[in-house]
Amino acid sequence: MRAYATMARLSMRTTFAYRQAYALGTAASCLGLVASLALWSALLSGGAQLGGFTLTEMKGYMLVTFATNWLGNAVGEWSLANRIRDGQVAIDLVRPIATQRLMFAQVAGGFPVEVLIIGGAAAGFVLLAGPVPAPQRPLLLSVSLLLVIPLRFGIGFLTALVVFWTENFHGVAWARNAVSQLLSGSLVPLALMPQWLQVTAAVLPFASLTSSPALIYLGKVDTAGALGLVGLQIFWTVAIWFGAQLAFRGASRQVTVHGG
Amino acid sequence: MVDSVRTLRRSVFLYRRSLGAVVRSVLEYTADFWILIVAGIVTQSLGLVFLSVVMARVPQINGWSYAEMVFIYALAGISSSIVPVVADGIWALAGLIHNGKLDYLLTRPYPPLLQVMSMWVGFNGVGDLVASTVMLAWALASVAIAWSPGMVLAFVVLVLSGMALRIALAVASNAVSFWLKMPVPMFAMALWQVGELARYPLGIYGLAMRVLLGVAIPFAFAGFIPAAWLLDRTGYAWLGVLAPLVAIAAWIAAVWIFRRGLRRYESAGH
Repeated sequence: MRAYATMARLSMRTTFAYRQAYALGTAASCLGLVASLALWSALLSGGAQLGGFTLTEMKGYMLVTFATNWLGNAVGEWSLANRIRDGQVAIDLVRPIATQRLMFAQVAGGFPVEVLIIGGAAAGFVLLAGPVPAPQRPLLLSVSLLLVIPLRFGIGFLTALVVFWTENFHGVAWARNAVSQLLSGSLVPLALMPQWLQVTAAVLPFASLTSSPALIYLGKVDTAGALGLVGLQIFWTVAIWFGAQLAFRGASRQVTVHGG
Repeated sequence: MVDSVRTLRRSVFLYRRSLGAVVRSVLEYTADFWILIVAGIVTQSLGLVFLSVVMARVPQINGWSYAEMVFIYALAGISSSIVPVVADGIWALAGLIHNGKLDYLLTRPYPPLLQVMSMWVGFNGVGDLVASTVMLAWALASVAIAWSPGMVLAFVVLVLSGMALRIALAVASNAVSFWLKMPVPMFAMALWQVGELARYPLGIYGLAMRVLLGVAIPFAFAGFIPAAWLLDRTGYAWLGVLAPLVAIAAWIAAVWIFRRGLRRYESAGH
């Protein structure tokens, strides 16, 4: 346990050491927020509604999307993917600590910085973009947001394992990002999508990344519904965690070490 | 004159050879090659899904119809997707500087900028290009453009200017790595994301964003502004004719920044 706590602390220090990079990343994603605000404002001007969302509600939705895109974003999948690619993962395999837990500790270490970024951006957004609905069911919402961290980590870890076979991560990562953006509801609320996409999203874990916390935030579901969404998030988090563990065990028989 | 023509031909030849070597090496990883192409297609289609989903219920955004929105989106997509295809290596510049590996390139008798640019081919760009072309073809059939031989020529010139502009902006923003000294080109990546905002009509943005995308970092000249000009819109659409000049200016600036940065380069040991 101490080893993991140390890794989390080191990872936190790394995020502070690369504050320049974080500042630039934050600036870029804030501009992205400005752009989607502009688009939705143009779409929903004059009190129009889309799929039951008013402009004010969409602002809340954007805010949750921004938050969930930052949560659990530190290091993680790319560092694992690169270690698999160049064979360094062989060293991880002989270490007396579990690779998966170690990487999760690193992701968890990024949490303080992520909270700072999200808090700052949210404050700025509410001040500049005007009325944003207040979060409903704060307790369930916090649980739902916190669950995003292990879930995103699990999905990322599982994706990175594909590198054991493809030996390169760019394509896999981009394809996964695109699918995740679409089916998590971070592109548009799932309620706006055609039926077949909604069904696809309902049976995959991505909706738990953004759509679920957003719906809880806006009070689009009642307490029972919110509990159901959180329950589903927990199910996916646990299932993917253990699935990834099994997959890692199987995949590590596949190590290809280049050079020598 | 004869000499400079020969130098140019040799440069183009070497550039092609360099890209060709990368293509052969990438094809070693067949699975990832195909995944990259599919990833490019899917990524480009995301914007189309967004537009289709919301515009199925709202007929126009800020006075632009669905077909026109797709036209703008696809035109900007074509300009940006050429960057990974012909100049993806530029994204490796930050790493080369950080590790001092630029040394090797400086000893070879070929311009370092061209060596860096041709170091890698991003096959996702091929997917981007395919998806954007399909979208553009569909949009061209649906929007009202008064075609004439001159208009066709203008279309080609505008598309090429957009591509040149995006490559120049990628070079300039990555050359900033000479000063930032980070192993990952965070600045260029942030700027690239800003470029995505120029895939929608400028009119939806406030003044600050319009100045940012139209003047400070002129991404709008690789998408929205030429599209507005081709669609014969009033307002600032006439700026479209400036696109080739903006591209040339961006190239001059990019090469200048790269040269200044190279003079600052002090090998490994940061």
